[in-house]
Amino acid sequence: MRVDPSYITNLVGSLDGTQASEQQLSAELSSGVSITSLSQNPVGSGENVLLLNQIQQDDSFTQSSNLVTGQLQVADSALGSVVSELTQASANNGTLNASDVQSIGNQISGILDEVQSLANTSYQGQYIFAGGKTGAAPFSTSTATSPAVTSYNGDENVNQLELPNGQKIQLNVPGGQIFLGGGANSVFGALNALVADYSSGTVNTQQAASDTAALSTALNYVSQQRVTIDNSMTQLTAASSAVTNEQTQLTTAQTDLMQADLPTISTQLSLAETQQTALEDVIAQLESTSNNLFNKLQP
Amino acid sequence: MGTINSALSVTTGALDADQEALNVVANNVANANTTGYTEETPDWQENAPIEVGGISIGDGVTETGTTSQRDRVLEERLDQQQQLASASSTRLTALNNMQALFTPDSGSSGATAGDIGSDITSFFDSFSSLESDPTNNALREQVLSSASTLAGDISGAASSLNSQSAALDQEASGVVGQVNSLTSAIAQLNLEIQSTSPDGDAGTLEDQRQQDLSQLSQLIGINQVTTENNGLSITTTSGQLLVSEGQSTQLTTGAVNGVMDFFLGGTDITADLASGGGQLGGYLTARDVDIPGALSSLDQLAYGISTSVNAQNNAGTDLDGVTGTPANPLDIFNEPAQAAGSAAAMSVVMTNPNQIAAASAGNGTGDNSNAVTMANLASRLIVNGQTPINSYSNFVSTLGATFTEVQTENTAQTASVTQLQTQNNALSSVNLNDEAAAMSTLENSYQAASQVFTLLNSIMASALNLGEETAVT
Repeated sequence: MRVDPSYITNLVGSLDGTQASEQQLSAELSSGVSITSLSQNPVGSGENVLLLNQIQQDDSFTQSSNLVTGQLQVADSALGSVVSELTQASANNGTLNASDVQSIGNQISGILDEVQSLANTSYQGQYIFAGGKTGAAPFSTSTATSPAVTSYNGDENVNQLELPNGQKIQLNVPGGQIFLGGGANSVFGALNALVADYSSGTVNTQQAASDTAALSTALNYVSQQRVTIDNSMTQLTAASSAVTNEQTQLTTAQTDLMQADLPTISTQLSLAETQQTALEDVIAQLESTSNNLFNKLQP
Repeated sequence: MGTINSALSVTTGALDADQEALNVVANNVANANTTGYTEETPDWQENAPIEVGGISIGDGVTETGTTSQRDRVLEERLDQQQQLASASSTRLTALNNMQALFTPDSGSSGATAGDIGSDITSFFDSFSSLESDPTNNALREQVLSSASTLAGDISGAASSLNSQSAALDQEASGVVGQVNSLTSAIAQLNLEIQSTSPDGDAGTLEDQRQQDLSQLSQLIGINQVTTENNGLSITTTSGQLLVSEGQSTQLTTGAVNGVMDFFLGGTDITADLASGGGQLGGYLTARDVDIPGALSSLDQLAYGISTSVNAQNNAGTDLDGVTGTPANPLDIFNEPAQAAGSAAAMSVVMTNPNQIAAASAGNGTGDNSNAVTMANLASRLIVNGQTPINSYSNFVSTLGATFTEVQTENTAQTASVTQLQTQNNALSSVNLNDEAAAMSTLENSYQAASQVFTLLNSIMASALNLGEETAVT
């Protein structure tokens, strides 16, 4: 069998191949990215989409948690103030002389106003103890009857923030639950009763003592509700740090996947260059006219 | 005297034959770089011997013509392989253009423009952010702006795919003209070959016909059928007759449902051509299989996201306390009627961020439970049984894998073409070293014949002079 006389064409084809590979490797070196097109690593490209998705989700949660922290802190501090006001109000027990009655009445009435204003606390224009009806102040007091009645216009809606892992964190406690916590636990019920007790001038001490006791119960109940908010804050801090850790790990994985491995690529590039030089030498050798038999023929 | 005369005649015959053979060598050398030229070798034929008194005496040699060094089977194999390689390499180019639309996001920069995967995540994340403060106007604006980015990138990718499809349409139609002129040329050559050399190789004419066949093989998939008197019929790979000896049938194009279809004698053979091979096969496969496949994935994605998000938004209460109704829906995206075409048409129709229904129906506007449900759509199987991000991830993997698959196929086919080409070249192309050797041999032979002629001439002279004076030197 004869040899294909157009071997140079074939060699030039190989030369094209090495040049294309050099180009690809140089592109990877200069961009620092190992997967510059889907076909280079189809599975890796798909995986990259999923990794980036998780990283972005974590990033978004970190931002949300910063927003939410402010709201939770405001709620916590408002409830803290309520607790201290109520502590003050329920301190008015023991024996009272007649001249104290009026001033105690005024004081408790002041505390009632203060607590109502705390219950109507807003954060960035939204009433945080209104459940889902955050657009309007949830508590108002009607003095048409005695004792006066404080009513709740919010709802019992609880907002939750969902973590990337599906866990949910409670963001608010509806005001109705905290301040009108049903019968014996009602803050406003106890306060309004006390105001009525001390406003008449003559104090039914037995009634007043009973109402003060009711206020203490309500106080304990508010403290318990405050624990829910505190728990949420703790959960949020824990979740944030877990998410940050996860994000770091995911970013490492994503970088490993996408980043060009410089030593390997440099080695491959140098190999391709050597191959190219060798091919060029071979072509030069074969092309040299001295190898043609016609040159050996004497004229 | 008679024998000397006949010896002279044998020698002149040898000189003539050598002369002709040298012509053949010269022609080979002259055409060493001519594309499609097949090396020719001289045919030598022994002249019929003369019987004199029961003794057989040789009567020299005649150069009867040339034989082209050709292997029809090998050439047909090469053509067939060329059709496959040319189809896969055309398809590969189209796939490369497609995958360029979905370059993987390196993730090195926070702002990732044009990456649909990031867009999907950002969009659903914007609902997660809205959970933290459902009445916040900035967060609501964020939902709409990430929805616009998502819709813009999906519809942009879909419209790029559509224009790539239109470009392939154009290129495919362009091939038809070339195919038609090649088939008419082959039909014409068939006639010439059948009339000039019905029994043997037609040499240069055959070279031309093979050259045309090889060009035709770049363009479409064909079958070759040798007919009587050295004629040739050509059909498409699925059997439709393109050339029947001296007659060729023209391919025609016509628009059917907005794309170019291909007809042969009134029959629509587009699907046959797509699977047939050649450039046309590659263009049509990319146009009718690859691009529609990618578009359908994007359509599913757009349809799934648009319908689910719209439905969920209509199920809640917006910031103004309004709940969507069929008559006045609170749609974020334009509601697609069907999956097909929804990627190209995807857009955001909501302009007022208050209309995002973060609250569940009937709840206060500070409620975030519907926003939680919307954010959770990201992990629900809303796109053809997959989550949106998994669907996109699968889409890019599949596209990349298709490219790799075709690339592997193409590498193997190209290698096979190279191998067959090498075999064919080894047989048919002009090797200058061989020609130099042949020339040297013929030169020697010519010199020997002329020496013999000179000697015979002297012998003839001495015979004529009857020994008086010999002129032999």
